[in-house]
Amino acid sequence: MKKKILLVEDEKALCLLYEEELSREGYDVVAVHDAEAALAEIGRTAFDLIVTDIRMPGKNGIELITQIMGLRKDVPIIINSAYQSYKEDFMTWAADAYVVKSASLDELKAKIKEMLGA
Amino acid sequence: MIDTYNILSPDFERDAPRELMLLSIISQSFFQPFSLEDNLLVILTALTSGSGVGFNRAMLFLKQGDRINGEMWLGPRSAEEAGLIWEVLSTPGIGYVEILEHNRALVAKNQDTLSGRLKGLVYAADEESALIPAAAVCRKELLHVRDATHESQVDRRFLNLIGVDEFLCVPLLARDDVVGVIVLDNAITRTPIAPADIKLAGVCGLMAGNYIYSTNLHKKLLEMEKMAAMGEVALFVTHQLRNPIVAVGGFTDQLLKPDLPEDKRKRNLTIIRDEVRRLEDIIYQMGHFLKVSLKEPVYFDPGPVIDAVVNSPDIRSRAVEHGLSVKIDPCPPEILCDPTSFGEVLRNLLDNAFDATSPGGAVAIRGYRRNRTSYILSVRDTGKGISNPDKDQLFRPFFTTKEKGMGLGLPFIKRVMDTAGGKIEVHSRVGKGTIFRLTFNFREREPNP
Repeated sequence: MKKKILLVEDEKALCLLYEEELSREGYDVVAVHDAEAALAEIGRTAFDLIVTDIRMPGKNGIELITQIMGLRKDVPIIINSAYQSYKEDFMTWAADAYVVKSASLDELKAKIKEMLGA
Repeated sequence: MIDTYNILSPDFERDAPRELMLLSIISQSFFQPFSLEDNLLVILTALTSGSGVGFNRAMLFLKQGDRINGEMWLGPRSAEEAGLIWEVLSTPGIGYVEILEHNRALVAKNQDTLSGRLKGLVYAADEESALIPAAAVCRKELLHVRDATHESQVDRRFLNLIGVDEFLCVPLLARDDVVGVIVLDNAITRTPIAPADIKLAGVCGLMAGNYIYSTNLHKKLLEMEKMAAMGEVALFVTHQLRNPIVAVGGFTDQLLKPDLPEDKRKRNLTIIRDEVRRLEDIIYQMGHFLKVSLKEPVYFDPGPVIDAVVNSPDIRSRAVEHGLSVKIDPCPPEILCDPTSFGEVLRNLLDNAFDATSPGGAVAIRGYRRNRTSYILSVRDTGKGISNPDKDQLFRPFFTTKEKGMGLGLPFIKRVMDTAGGKIEVHSRVGKGTIFRLTFNFREREPNP
């Protein structure tokens, strides 16, 4: 069965890119643009992995992760951010991995593969 | 009954004690927007002008790191020059400002000769065995030197330069530091240095030391603030640029794959074109914000500028959706601001108001005199309002609540208002709306002849 990934990304073009590329890798991807929509999806579906941005309008990625921890502790989370500097921030330690956004999606794909063991 | 006095009033009675006048002149100069160099000149002037302590000449040394450097020389080079200078300065009606102006010219004239030689004198600041004048810095004591030729503790190069046997070294103390030393002498009149003059010069030294210390501290603080702001700019630019670049790179990679259907190929090219345009826009806005240098404010009639902005096609088309009412004083005064920046400020505020307001809401501009010195221009909307935590950050560069905003509009407005000596206030209630109130200084218009 296909692994389910929740993708949270406010940039519409990037969201489309990630959704298509991860689907090509054989994942079942649900893409949303903000934290509220992400929480609603988590309430409906048992995801195997969550990939989220940090800087988003409304609730940011860190607040989203804190709330996810209260709902589903077992789901691995990857932060995918344009900010290199947040990588060293302890606030991001709750996530299982941190990937800096890059035109090549190889690192993100490799990290997802590693986490899902597939 | 309450009487009020201007704290900066320089007018003392003629028979006021000269010490009081001297200290008042120095402390008042620190309130003026003078440069550090001009204020140092004020201190030296106060110590050498007749209405001050009245030494003939003053030399300033400043501590920089572990060195003490000769900086500024004030006073005549010869008895003849002294005669000429004092003749000018004793002209009836010459005030302190004129004396300062005269001294500025004197410093410039001495630049190549005495000041140049003074600047060649450099001492180590932390040596126990430092020679005079540097010793005053190390010892933190006033040193009154007489018969200098026979004093082994006096630096010979310095002695050769000043050519007098009696002088006073005043260390410039500040907190637990010493920022320099002023050397005073009576080389022209050869009058002995009196104990009362030594005491007064010591107090001047304390004031000067604290002034230099706080000015240096302020400079450091500004530098640190600039560095912090630069860090924030770099962080924001990284984020703003990286997102479109990732999109361009990712969709280009897809284009290079041979199996991409034609519709997706077209879609990718459209996305790439849009993201490149976005990159261009980001670069333009950043450049505009970082480089734009604001012009000096002038008094002008705001009426025509407001009309031009309100009637510009983009504002008019947005006003159709939202409704825009304009009520400006029929005969507004001339307000103090750069007119072009004023137009941009109003355009920015209107754009924000329209962005925050749903169709059917209302935006209103009001212009009126608040009192005899302040003119208010306000922009009110009935939009979604601003939450309190957001309100605190509104004027920080790159803070934005808009999806595609850069967060540079309100910091720009703040800069314009600061430059114009005005202010900006914001009042907002979530769900009810927001009002931005700009306060300008104004003057009434000249009546038409």
